[in-house]
Amino acid sequence: MSDHSEPLVTELDPVIHAQARLRVVSALSVLRDDDRIAFPQLQQSLNMTAGNLSVHLRKLEDASYVEVTKTHHGRTPATLVRLTRRGRLAFDDYTAALRALLNPKEEP
Amino acid sequence: MTPIDDDAPPLDPAESLALIERERAKLGRDLSPDPRLMFWPWGIAWLVGFALFFLRFGPDGRVFVDLPAWLPLAALALLMIGAGITTGVVGSRVSRRVTGPSNRQGAMYGISWSVAFTAFSILFAQFSDVLPESQAGLLWAGGMVALTGALYMAGAAIWNDRNMFLLGSWTSLINIVGILAGPGWHSLIVAVAGGGGMVAAGLIGWLRLR
Repeated sequence: MSDHSEPLVTELDPVIHAQARLRVVSALSVLRDDDRIAFPQLQQSLNMTAGNLSVHLRKLEDASYVEVTKTHHGRTPATLVRLTRRGRLAFDDYTAALRALLNPKEEP
Repeated sequence: MTPIDDDAPPLDPAESLALIERERAKLGRDLSPDPRLMFWPWGIAWLVGFALFFLRFGPDGRVFVDLPAWLPLAALALLMIGAGITTGVVGSRVSRRVTGPSNRQGAMYGISWSVAFTAFSILFAQFSDVLPESQAGLLWAGGMVALTGALYMAGAAIWNDRNMFLLGSWTSLINIVGILAGPGWHSLIVAVAGGGGMVAAGLIGWLRLR
């Protein structure tokens, strides 16, 4: 049994390890594979400004964790966001790492 | 660890996990229709509509309240149309927030309801004139309630929703009991146990989402 949780901290994904992006990825993780959420809906649920959300989405996009698509619903342009497979994997790893930090004994 | 920007890192693992759960629950809530609006209109339609049926067309031809003969069916039909419109509007408004397999599933499920009810109505209309009034009433009511129970159970299979499955099984079960008990009793059982079951389902769903 080790009481040094410090090395695990370095394994936490720096892309997700920021409050705002953790919130974005957590919310997106509710969507089922291949479902996309409308940007305004995501913004409203997260209670973030459009600018702030855009900045974080861009960073997540750079890491290929989310995919942002622009489309049209009739005549109105719509921006849709989804979590990529890679993003979901990173999120699962991140939560697993957090649980391991909390319960080091349960680590196999 | 090197942060990629100056955004505040989450505070500690326990708080981070709590934050994750909060955000997941919040978006989950925003993407599900209000269970009260999805179940209560149907529950009220059944409670009021079938209660009127019971009062006018009681067991063994008894008339508890001498309402006009057309009133129970007209009231039930209007209430059910109202419920259908309410759940349709609420459901599609919520489903528009997401694009992808989920809202296709929801649309297909919604269409299944309309198609099945239309088919049953056309079928039963063929027998309305040849059956005695009480038997025709039982055929209509028993058929529609059977359909509702089965569609809730199928919906539960789509969304892996145990509570919805419970509601569907319960509705199917009380329908069978009511059909065997006969005209009149069927109305009373469906009004109280069926309508009551839907009101309870809406309440439980709402409490769980809160």
